Order: sequence, then structure tokens, then C-alpha cells
Amino acid sequence: MPSAPGAAFSERYVEADGFRIRYMEAGQGAPLVHLHGAGGLRLTPGHDLLSRRFRVVAFEMPGFGQSPENNQTRSMPELASTMAQAIKNLGLDTFNLMGTSFGGKTALWLALQAPERVLALVLEAPAAIRQEGAESPSGSPEEIARRLYAHPERLGAIPMPDPAIRAKTQPLVQRLRGPDRDADLESRLPSLGAPTLVLFGTLDSVITPAMGRVYKDLMPGCHLVFVYDAGHGISTDRPEAFAEVVVDFLERHEAFVISRTETVIHP
Amino acid sequence: MKVSFFETARYCAPQALPSEWPVPSGAYDRDAGARAYGSMIERLEYVEELGFDWVSVSEHHYSPRILTPAPIVSASYIAARLRKIKIALLGPIVPQSNPVRVAEELAMLDTLAQGRLVVGLLRGTTNESLTYDLNPAEARERTDEGMELILRAWTEPQPFGWQGRHFQYRTVSIWPRPQQQPHPPTYALGTSRESCEFAARNHLGCGVSYGSFEAVGKATRYYREQCARHGWQPAPEQIIYRANMLLAETDEDAQALLREQPNQRPFSMRPGVSDALMKLDSRNIAGEARAPIVSGALPTTFIGSPDTVVEQVRRCRDVVGAGVLDLSLHPPGSGDLEPLMRALELFGKKVLPRIRDI
Repeated sequence: MPSAPGAAFSERYVEADGFRIRYMEAGQGAPLVHLHGAGGLRLTPGHDLLSRRFRVVAFEMPGFGQSPENNQTRSMPELASTMAQAIKNLGLDTFNLMGTSFGGKTALWLALQAPERVLALVLEAPAAIRQEGAESPSGSPEEIARRLYAHPERLGAIPMPDPAIRAKTQPLVQRLRGPDRDADLESRLPSLGAPTLVLFGTLDSVITPAMGRVYKDLMPGCHLVFVYDAGHGISTDRPEAFAEVVVDFLERHEAFVISRTETVIHP
Repeated sequence: MKVSFFETARYCAPQALPSEWPVPSGAYDRDAGARAYGSMIERLEYVEELGFDWVSVSEHHYSPRILTPAPIVSASYIAARLRKIKIALLGPIVPQSNPVRVAEELAMLDTLAQGRLVVGLLRGTTNESLTYDLNPAEARERTDEGMELILRAWTEPQPFGWQGRHFQYRTVSIWPRPQQQPHPPTYALGTSRESCEFAARNHLGCGVSYGSFEAVGKATRYYREQCARHGWQPAPEQIIYRANMLLAETDEDAQALLREQPNQRPFSMRPGVSDALMKLDSRNIAGEARAPIVSGALPTTFIGSPDTVVEQVRRCRDVVGAGVLDLSLHPPGSGDLEPLMRALELFGKKVLPRIRDI
């Protein structure tokens, strides 16, 4: 019987900007920092696969999960700055950075604020650039799951967030997520030199996958990859496909476009 | 009603051929092959003159019955020689293709044909899984994924990678793009629940073939229900029905033609192979299990005099909802060209003008 996702991760805490920030860590190798989506930190089979190749540090950002309500952080750049400090306090000067959905926007701001520290950037279904009138998933945990995942049946033992926690984090998310098209952020993206991988599931019903091309338009080092048959939660819907492309990109950056697949059948 | 002529490149074998599929390649006669392709254009010029809307071609391998293993080649050839008629490529067998290559070829052909291309995408007949060693158990999934990738390659303006289940690409950015925007009229071909749902979800047309009106009507009804679920309604032209038609001056003559038809499909697979394939190949009509046709003759659903056939077309419109008939007049594989030309003339003059308003 396979263990639950994230079973190999250990729970730790780090202080930054007056917050006590929880994080989960597993694996050896180059650091890969992960910033979660608006639903909070949820370890997926994708995290497990990534931790075989990287030292994965998955944060729970202040105000999410079991942490106290966060009335202090006023903006996304401010949250990014807090997270940059937390990463520094772990002794990580340079690192790979991955952001999911809401956390994709945090990751972009962090990379803009500290470009010299971010080796490469992975954005999983980023919510930094959204179609007009994009609506966050809402309703019962089951309804939310159907909106987030193309294959909610693959969630298995992963618990969906407690509605009470969701209610607590909503004001923070609303305050920080910004407009669907954030002119300030978008005007800065062309200056972002970090190798960037943008992933969208072909069945994403939260952020339309067509938003992927906007990142590619704006960012010189951007690669866009569609993950077939995945919804908004790519690393849950298709963890192997997700981890394969993320690992390959982080290891080879733009040279990841060169295939290493061997096709010899018999020598 | 629009009409399409299913062009199969009629190969007239100079001597009796082995009866098994695959037909030994050594039995091929080069002169007969040259004649089959050579006579195609003359026939299609007549088809165009009679007022057919489309000529269709399809992909079949390893037999002379439908001599177009690379339909993109025949479609390009036809497109270059005829000026008005639409070219319906129904279609590339998606699961055994490189979907990006298919997207490129179809975009190129649509441009060469000045926007006259119609596309049907499909899984292929059961025997075709043997052609390029395709595992039949994977054919459905590969078809769905390949079709989605083709649509994405046609429409995505930025270079992209594809992290699929059966296909993986790091870089896709096709040139040319299709002449027709966002892409040529495209149909998912097949009666299965999966195929109907794919078509509905992606706002594509639906193409069904050969079954009785009632049987294929189940599929097209399901397709329309699924379209409604996705908030749209297909036009009649978005449903194609491919069928055999035996047309003669009188009903008696048509029935006599039917009696002359072999009741076995030419070039059957060996029983051990077809039985094993049957077990692996789960086919359905709108979710109801249906055995694949691997050896029996394909049914003929339009048969009779012009009056009778016009009434059958009317019934087909009501039951199937089809707005395009893709017709084999005289069975595919028959090298008997004289009756085919007679049937064409009769259809063009006595049937076509009367079914336009159906």
C-alpha cells in the first residue's frame, strides 16, 4: 500500500517579518522552494516525485492553513518579500522557485524583487494573469475539488481544506490576488531573465490555459507546456507528467527542449 | 442536404487476388495501379460537374480495396486538379500518426486548396491497428489525445510543449497555419460515446458511417444531447453519414445489384487474428456495446430507384439528422467502373436535385 503523499516530508518552522512560518521539507540536492495556491499547502504525489531529485521546501504562507489569521500583509509584493526573507533565514541564498496558482503570482514578485537569487522559476497554473471575470472555486469541498481537478478521484487520501480555514484565508486572498490583469506586474515581466516554465492543464477550468501565451509574450525566458488531461491542480491530476517536465527543466533549463528519449528497441 | 462522393481509387485487378488481409504486396499490378489513380481525376471532374459538394478520401492500408494509404497525398492531388469541390479528408488515422505532423499537413493542404479542406479525425477500423503495430487497447486514448493536440497545434499562437500520456513534445509551433480560421471544418468520426463527447466538447462535427439509420441515429442523438450540455447546437452540416448506395432505374434492378454483391467483406483477416482483435477492441454506439465489423460485408442503407432513394434520404435526415451524405455509389473495392458511372449519372440527374431541400 503506497504511503500518503508527503509522508517523507518533515514539518519545520522558520521566522520572518514577525511570522512563524511552517514548512515541509524532504529530499537532497539543489533547493526547490514551493509556494502554494489560494487553498493553502497541500502536499501532492508531485512533491514526492520532485523530492527524489531536489531538496523540496514547501512553505505554508502566513495566514494559510493552521497559522493565525494574517492581517498584516497588505499586498502580493509584501508577501513575496516576507517569503524571500524566510528562505534567506533557512540559509538558502539561491534556489529554484515554484509557485502554484495564487503562489505563482507570489513567486513572480519574489523573482522580480530578488532576481539574483532565483535560479529558475516554475509556475503551475499561475493565477497572476487571469481571463476577465475569472472566479475562484467555491462551494462545498467536493464542488471545489471538481473545479480544481480533472481527476478528483486521484485525490485519494489528500484532505480538502476545512471550510473554516477557507473562510479565514479568504480576506487575505482577496486582498492580495489583485486584478485579473495586473498592469504593474505585467509591465515588469519583460525584465525577468530567469528561465521560466509555465504549465497549464488542458482541462483547467479556473484559469483558462490560453493565458499561458501571455506569459510567453511578456517573458523572454519563458517556456509554455500544456499538460494533457490535467485540470488546475496539475501535480495531483498527473503527478508523473508534471514532475518529469519540471525536473527536466530545472536540470537543463532551456536545453530541456532537446529530447533524450531513447528509441532503440533491440540493440 | 449536401452530398459527398467517397473516392476510393478503383483498382481493377487483372487477375484474381488472394482473399486475405493483408493482401500480399507482390500481387500488386503496377499498370492497374496507374490506371486506378489515372481514372480518378476524370471521374471526379464528372462528380464536380454533377454538383457534388465534397469529394472524400480515407486512410486504409495493405489492400487494393481502398487504395489510399496516404490520403493526404490523394487529397493534395485532387485539390490541385479540381477547382471548386471541397476536399474532405476523412481522415488521418490519428492513433498511429504523429499528431503535429498531421496538423502541419492539413494546414498546408488547406492553404494549397485555398480553404477547401474538410477534416475528419478518427481512430481507424479494427484491422488498421495491425498496420503500424498499434496496441488496440491504447487506440482510443491515443485518438483522443492526438485529436486534442492537432486542434491545439492549429490554434495556439505561441510555441508550446505537450506533456501528454501518449505523446510528448517540447516544441510545437506550426507553419503554415490553416487557411480557414480558426481551423477547417472538423469532425470527430465514430459512433462511440467517447467520440461524440469529444466532438461536443470541442465544438466539432460528428461523422457516422454504414450502420442502419436507427443505429447511427442513436449516436447522433447522443452527440446533439452532449452539444446541448456544452451550450451549443450543431448545424445539420455538422453531421456526416457515410453510406453505401445502390441506385438503379427501378427498385427491382437495384435489388438485383444487391444480390450480386458478395456477402463477405473482401480481404478478411485470419480468424485467429480477427477473434483476438475483437476481444481487445471495445466499440460502442453512444455507450452501447457493438461488435466491430471485421469480416462481414458493410450494409447498404440506400437502395432502390431514384424515387425510393429520395424517400430514404428524407428518412435519414429525420432519423440520423445528417446534413451531409458521404456516398459510395457501387461498393468500394468494386473495379466495375461502368455501373459506377451509370449510378453517378443517375444520382446526379434524378436524385441530387430532389434532395437539396431535405
